[in-house]
Amino acid sequence: MKKLFLYTFLSLFCVASLMAQDFRKSAPKPGKAKRIQLGQAEEFTLKNGLQVIVVENNKLPRVSFQVFVDVPVRKEGDIVGVSSMAGQLLNKGTKTRTKAQIDEAVDFIGASLSSNANGLFASSLSRHKDDLLTIMTDVLFNPVFPEAEFEKLKKQTLSGLAQQKDDPSAIASNVANVLRYGIDHPYGEIQTEENVNNISLESAKKYYNTYFKPNISYLVIVGDISVKEAKMAAEKYFGKWQRGVVAEEKFEEPEKPGSRQVSFVNRAGAVQSVINITCPIELKTGSPDVVKTTLLNNILGSGFNGRLFANLREDKGFTYGAYSSMSSDPLVGYFNASASVRNEVTDSAIVEFLYEIDRIAEEKISDEEVQLSKNFITGSFARSLERPQTIANFALSTARFDLPKDYYATYLERLNAITPADLQAVAKKYIDDEDMHILVVGNKGEVAEKLEQFDADGTITFRDAFGKVIKDEDNALPEGVSAATIVEDYINAIGGRDAMKKVEDMTIVMSTTVMGQTMQMETMTKAPNKMKMTAKMSGMVMNETKFDGQKAKISQMGQNVPVDENTNKEMRQQARMFPERTYLSDGYKLELSGIETINGKKAYAVVVTTPSGSKTTEYYDMATSLKIRTVMTQSGPQGEVTVTNDFSDYREVEGFGIKIPYQTTSTGMAPVPITLKTESVKINTGLEDSVFEVK
Amino acid sequence: MKLNWMLALVFGVFSTGLFAQNNDIKFEKFTLDNGLTVLLHQDKTTPIVAVSVMYHVGSKNEKPNRTGFAHFFEHLLFEGSENIDRGEYDKYVQNAGGTLNANTSWDRTYYYEVLPSNQLELGLWLESERMLHAKVEQKGIETQREVVKEERRQRVDNQPYGSILEQTFKRAYTEHPYRWPIIGYMDDLDAATENDYKTFYETFYVPNNAILSIAGDIDIAQAKKMVEKYFSGIPKGKGPIYRPDIEEPAMASEIRDTVQDNIQLPAVVQTYRIPAQGTEDFYAVDMLSRLLSNGESSRLYKTLVDEQQKALFVGSFPLQMEDPGVTIAFGIANMGVSPEEVEAAMDAEIEKAMNELISEKEFQKLRNQIENDFVSQNSTVAGIAENLANYEMYFGDANLINNEIDRYMKVTREDIREAAKKYFNKNNRVVLYYMPKTPQP
Repeated sequence: MKKLFLYTFLSLFCVASLMAQDFRKSAPKPGKAKRIQLGQAEEFTLKNGLQVIVVENNKLPRVSFQVFVDVPVRKEGDIVGVSSMAGQLLNKGTKTRTKAQIDEAVDFIGASLSSNANGLFASSLSRHKDDLLTIMTDVLFNPVFPEAEFEKLKKQTLSGLAQQKDDPSAIASNVANVLRYGIDHPYGEIQTEENVNNISLESAKKYYNTYFKPNISYLVIVGDISVKEAKMAAEKYFGKWQRGVVAEEKFEEPEKPGSRQVSFVNRAGAVQSVINITCPIELKTGSPDVVKTTLLNNILGSGFNGRLFANLREDKGFTYGAYSSMSSDPLVGYFNASASVRNEVTDSAIVEFLYEIDRIAEEKISDEEVQLSKNFITGSFARSLERPQTIANFALSTARFDLPKDYYATYLERLNAITPADLQAVAKKYIDDEDMHILVVGNKGEVAEKLEQFDADGTITFRDAFGKVIKDEDNALPEGVSAATIVEDYINAIGGRDAMKKVEDMTIVMSTTVMGQTMQMETMTKAPNKMKMTAKMSGMVMNETKFDGQKAKISQMGQNVPVDENTNKEMRQQARMFPERTYLSDGYKLELSGIETINGKKAYAVVVTTPSGSKTTEYYDMATSLKIRTVMTQSGPQGEVTVTNDFSDYREVEGFGIKIPYQTTSTGMAPVPITLKTESVKINTGLEDSVFEVK
Repeated sequence: MKLNWMLALVFGVFSTGLFAQNNDIKFEKFTLDNGLTVLLHQDKTTPIVAVSVMYHVGSKNEKPNRTGFAHFFEHLLFEGSENIDRGEYDKYVQNAGGTLNANTSWDRTYYYEVLPSNQLELGLWLESERMLHAKVEQKGIETQREVVKEERRQRVDNQPYGSILEQTFKRAYTEHPYRWPIIGYMDDLDAATENDYKTFYETFYVPNNAILSIAGDIDIAQAKKMVEKYFSGIPKGKGPIYRPDIEEPAMASEIRDTVQDNIQLPAVVQTYRIPAQGTEDFYAVDMLSRLLSNGESSRLYKTLVDEQQKALFVGSFPLQMEDPGVTIAFGIANMGVSPEEVEAAMDAEIEKAMNELISEKEFQKLRNQIENDFVSQNSTVAGIAENLANYEMYFGDANLINNEIDRYMKVTREDIREAAKKYFNKNNRVVLYYMPKTPQP
């Protein structure tokens, strides 16, 4: 009896535990969805026109103040970038505080303070708010724009631009702006080195004096502060800010290309193509279509769940990521779809992009896909509300763009009401795969030809890195010209074989300035292929490389760097004087790839493959026959880097009839381009073999 | 799950935060019969909830010939379970409108989801599946092994200065398991057998080695019920949990070395051995580090970057570790400046901190900065869930989220000077020069 009871008990237990485990089989159903409520923002305007937005939130004893200057859209002309420079200079010194004193005062209260072209942002514990506002308004009202800080910033900006020159994504983003808006529209303006050099301290001050006015600005206060306190603080610290008249300009609305247009920017030696498929769209901030295009774009390609990602990465493996964006703007919005793909699949990737853009307009999206995308957007929206700053940003946008007061409060309602038919309608209204700019930044020789099929007129427009059309890019080669004649012409142009033969040794000293320090490079060569190179910075030897004809020795700051056999092999070629003499023998391979424009000069591009297999593209000026550029790919800290050397200012070495470039600019090797000036060239000074000895 | 352990641990050292007394974070704590510790914090301001589980296992719990396991598990445990198909884990979260991630340190592994609050149960289901019967198949192991190798290439090998922690720790420790990198040696991952995985999972992924921490828009009573439903049936771990009891001997003398890296500018890395987190001396060391490098007016930054322009960047980061750890002072030389010059300038500032008492004003600045940072760190429910779990796991006292700041406020100016003398001395450090590799022609 007892036993039977036990069995029953056990079997009951088993059933119970089985049932208990059953809930694990599938994901639990969500509970009733909570209403997502937005916090409140208070708004008022000071007498001087400053609009104040206050979001009180006492969760943390912190407060932040943002001054947002709503500078009207404007053209900067030949000083593109003056606004950002002026903005960054604001907190670098005031009438009564140096930069160090500003830093000290901000750090002392554990606060933070930053400035930009559109104003200032500061935050601290709420009990330090008076100290913080004192510093912040000093920076806002009394900046002195110190000359030294201005020069420092200019240099940084130029270094940044130099880095961009080498960055295909930066080139693509600049040229896409030119394509969408045209160079006469403010959004089509691109910053160049020339622009930066044009910026004067006066023009930066003028920007500040013209636009930093309360009547076009907002003061956004968020955190542990009551509306009453906020009002008092706004009056006390910002009430005396003087109004001014700020003019607004009108600009013509950019238009779509009208048909499919392919543009190409050549980057010699590129292994990837950066594709952008883009057009301007007439989508104004606050338009009822905005929430629909947000959902549409989410499905097409805003992230890991988008169709572009699924197709081009997950299915085809063309790329690490493919995305799209659709943006609204008070003037003009844009559509853009982009990916970086390897050279050989560039055309196939464009086919897939166009297919997906076409499909989303032509084929109804399934209810399920729409629902999942709605969930995703709703979740992100809800999470963003955790930060009180989000509510302030909503209030700021509502005020700036004159949106309906309940624009954000009803956002999710409007999102949820969208049907697949609505999505199809906005897709048809805004994007048409037959009316797009297709921009590719990549390797012309390997990629361009295959892209003609996508262009409505069958011709590709070649552009430079700033979007300017290059007309001569497709020049046919003159009759009788080959790689061999180009190299021979070059040899003659720098002095000829006979003159070269007479050179037994040569010592060239070059120098450059890097971040205020002078670097000197001395290169000694001796026939047939001995070499010694010494780089000194402020008198200290940074690098010494020797090659005795067989073996190399490299030391870096006094420390020996191991040299492998490959390096020795390469050095045997590199250490030669005038290696072009043997390009036609010795196992080199030459290929004439076409005519390109280099720094405004038409030049032959010749791909030179060394006996050990490394490739360099060399450019020979069509007019002078001189070598004006070399481009090669080397391994660098971030993987492969393309190193470009430009040669100019060829001068004859007296008594020897040999021409040497007196200026070399190297891009890609260091974070900034380095321009080396030749200081002296000495020939046949009788260099001893011992100079090159490797122990 | 794409882990941010390295950056997080170097730069987010102060991610433990607290509130001033008037803004106390209230929480409820209880323990299930199987040993799972549960922490609940209610905040109804936004309809979201953070669900997290912290396991008390990090790289220091690994065997010397099976390094990288803790971190590898962080990858494997997104693969699926008895009831969740391979590749579906993150889809459940994304389709619910949520987000998820995980990270691994020397001492613990942490998983979390942030979900709409009506999806709390989904988060509990996902985390309980992971704890009860995660399913790891050969295919998943092979895929993730490749992913981890890519991760290592991206974060360590191909990242300028990316090997600093690895190079430092292998010299600063000879006995303690902190000596190997969190991401581990790839040979060990290659050599691992299925049985190794099984044993690791059964030893460490048990309720009595975990803390379930939930913060957000929850009903406490209802949340408790759900927690019991999903977690009470998970059996307690059977065996003992391996916690190394290895004391690293003191350093005999300074260790110096040079590392060649794919970088443009040389860097100086000075690593000093310091006491474990939570000790009185740790707080003094922490304040000393802030004195040196917190903000543009801090001593190292102002002197080396602004005034002398010898360094492009300089910083000092004490690592919070369960066993005695290290603090790393790091300077990148400006173009044309030798590492010797940078090091001399760094040493001069450290010497000054040893010999001169800091001014009352500078001391007050440090205290203000600490207060500001603590207050700011609990601004999200995800942050609160993690901080509660951290305090509970390391100190057995989640309430430190409200009062750890008192420990900082006890530190005196003299304590800071003594900490400099005691720990920032040359015989207690490893100095590495990071030098640019010569570009190969």
